Amino acid sequence: MRGYVLRRLAMMLVTLLMITALTFLLMHVVPGGPFTREKQIPAEVLAALERKYNLDDPLWKQYADYLGGLLRFDLGPSFKYTGKSVNDFLTAGFPYSAKLGMYTLVFVLLASIPMGIVAALRSGRWADMVLMAAATLGVTIPSFVIATFLLYLFAFRLGWAPTFGVDKWQGYILPIITLGGYSISFLARLMRSSLLEVMGQDYIRTARSKGISEVRVIVRHALRNALIPVVTVLGPTVANLLTGSFVIEKIFAIPGIGNHFVNSVTQRDYTTIMGMTVFYAAFLISMVFVVDLFYCLIDPRIQFDT
Amino acid sequence: MRRLLSILLTCLLLAAAALPLTAYAAPTQELTFALNNVPDGIDPGITNNSFASPFLFNCFEGLVTTSTADGSLIPGNAESWTISDDGLTYTFTLREGLKWSDGSPLTSQDYLYAYKRVLTPETGAQYLNLLTDYIVGAQEYYEDAAAVDGLGIKAPDDRTLILTLKSPAPFYLSVLTMWTFFPVNQATIEANGDQWTNKPETYITNGPFRISENLLGERVVLEKNPEYYDADSVKLEKVTFRYILDLSTALMAYEAGDIDGTRGFPTSEFQRIRANVPGLVIKPSYGTTYYDINNAKAPYDNPLVRKALNLAVDRTAIIEEVIQTPATPAYGLNAPGYVVDGEDFVDGRPTFGMGPTADVEGARAALAEAGYPNGEGFPTMHLSYYTNDTVKKVVEALAAMFTENLGITVEISNEDWAVYYANVIAGNYDVGAMGWSADYLHPMTFLPLLATGDPNNVVGYSNPEYDALVEKARSINDPKEAMEVMRQAENIATAEYPLLYMYYGSQSMLMSPKVAGYYLDYSGNVLLKTAEVTE
Repeated sequence: MRGYVLRRLAMMLVTLLMITALTFLLMHVVPGGPFTREKQIPAEVLAALERKYNLDDPLWKQYADYLGGLLRFDLGPSFKYTGKSVNDFLTAGFPYSAKLGMYTLVFVLLASIPMGIVAALRSGRWADMVLMAAATLGVTIPSFVIATFLLYLFAFRLGWAPTFGVDKWQGYILPIITLGGYSISFLARLMRSSLLEVMGQDYIRTARSKGISEVRVIVRHALRNALIPVVTVLGPTVANLLTGSFVIEKIFAIPGIGNHFVNSVTQRDYTTIMGMTVFYAAFLISMVFVVDLFYCLIDPRIQFDT
Repeated sequence: MRRLLSILLTCLLLAAAALPLTAYAAPTQELTFALNNVPDGIDPGITNNSFASPFLFNCFEGLVTTSTADGSLIPGNAESWTISDDGLTYTFTLREGLKWSDGSPLTSQDYLYAYKRVLTPETGAQYLNLLTDYIVGAQEYYEDAAAVDGLGIKAPDDRTLILTLKSPAPFYLSVLTMWTFFPVNQATIEANGDQWTNKPETYITNGPFRISENLLGERVVLEKNPEYYDADSVKLEKVTFRYILDLSTALMAYEAGDIDGTRGFPTSEFQRIRANVPGLVIKPSYGTTYYDINNAKAPYDNPLVRKALNLAVDRTAIIEEVIQTPATPAYGLNAPGYVVDGEDFVDGRPTFGMGPTADVEGARAALAEAGYPNGEGFPTMHLSYYTNDTVKKVVEALAAMFTENLGITVEISNEDWAVYYANVIAGNYDVGAMGWSADYLHPMTFLPLLATGDPNNVVGYSNPEYDALVEKARSINDPKEAMEVMRQAENIATAEYPLLYMYYGSQSMLMSPKVAGYYLDYSGNVLLKTAEVTE
């Protein structure tokens, strides 16, 4: 077990290193630099700025310097926003994104798993049809459409929720529904198909033939195995929910970090592009790792080679 | 009995006197205003980003400032000034007892420090040219700080600041309204480095307001600056600038009454807002929307081709059916707005055949004369633009007009701004969307765009006659005379159609009718010094 964990950690580091190298290279290849503004700035100012941010160093040295900073958890100064560092962006924005993500995660789990179970057990009947139709809609309608519709109806027309921000707790309701919509639909469908597959397995028939009650068959025998695919996608889902969404944070005016993922690219804010990529990648890799550790808890067939 | 009566009467009188007081509760002087873009910084010496203006113009003040009553230029920190007869030396006298928001005295030394800081390469001042282009020795000082003796910025005593210009520039006072010329506090900058703008307690200002809370990407709260010399005129106690990046959300919040105003709203909603939503503020902007034509590349190096393009555009259709916001057709680089003795720069200006609607015959004739009758043999035009919803619609309309009116083939391409702008600067384009919004209210903010060798001349237009007239106008002291020369210059250029002139747009925002005394200027800056909540 310890060997496995150490090996995985080493692999995670290599993965991260490759991601940083690729991002760094791609970002410098794309035309336009961080100091392309509304109006052209004088060549000598551009030179001074490049000197200030060490952009006049050779690329390999810039990369090495960046990795050095990374080791000290220093993601560097933002090239776009004078006086702010990428760490500032994360400490200011991540609590908002993470809080919204956590609430959404709870909502997603409470909604999607029961939905999937009910749909599987009532497979082919009206409850299944209705739930799966809703789930299909949730996957296919883009979140900005849902967000705009919810905002218009519940915040503007009915006045039940604020029109922007999360200053009040009511402000969380609509973003949670919008952000969770896709994951709920996706997980519910996955839960349903997975449970249906498990229910058709031999060992379930065996359990039933032993005279075990249907509830026990489902809860003890079927669910445990049916949850494995769900847990697998839960890792990336958690990472996605917690690191914020550009669209949802923009529409609901939530000052999370989702905004930086997109804007840093259009603004060529090199350090912010790197910082966001590293942050998200590290988060995602860690979640996948945690999920792998969870496997052994729910599935005795999976064991870590030592 | 009489005593009782008198007591009763007195009580009644008192009650009557107190009545209007209790019935009229003064409104709280607080305002919440939505901003839709986060600036790249709020250091007046560094940024050239217009999104910083709500903070800079309301928290700082320079030597001269803009009147919130009519937009005219009025004394700011300087109570008076004199300009030498040769137009070269500006001597400013600061008001007595000026203070920073932390209570420390503000002197001409602070101005000297701020301007030298702009002229220091490490600062990375993006509006550096506003100093180096005009002030004696500024460029030399920028290149070598040892050249301080030759620098034309002096502070002989605490209330005097002297600026010496390279050549007379009668419009330099309007240049001085730019935030690049605001003073900055040396103590806080030396103590906090480039972090000084981050925290309210280190962001020392000298204007009507100071910052009391600064939450990155969420909101910035301004409070009245009690140390401001004209604090009596400042009515608002608190201004909350809330970032609502999505324009539809901002509009919804405004219509729901959750905010008092918003800088932006979806332009697609303009007609509905104008008809139904109270509080729409519109101001013609001192700026021009045009398309760059690559003057250095065949066949666009032929003025006849550029004429054909200009004549083929139905400007009215684009304004009324595509952008659907207030605008007037453009027939020249300078936007209306600069007035001398009651006469606007653009009054009586020749249009060189351009009109509100397309002159199809004239356009075809010009194209035929250039050797492309009915567009035959004309290479495919690459019409490029930067990612923007409104620009996209305009480009599509333009392409249709060129195809229909000139019989040429048009290919549209789109890039995000950073890539697009890099391509335009490098000359990798045929015709591309562009525009210029003025930095200060004077034609000299426009004219250099077509001067040979100017870094912002990206169309490659070059005409020695034009260059000479622009240069000549720079040094004419009499505004009327200078205007005539600048008009001549512009006409020389327009006659060769170096740009595809489109329209002069407008600035608009929403502000609750219960707010009065604010000013939206021609560049879209919102000045809140004298704003107040009236009900």
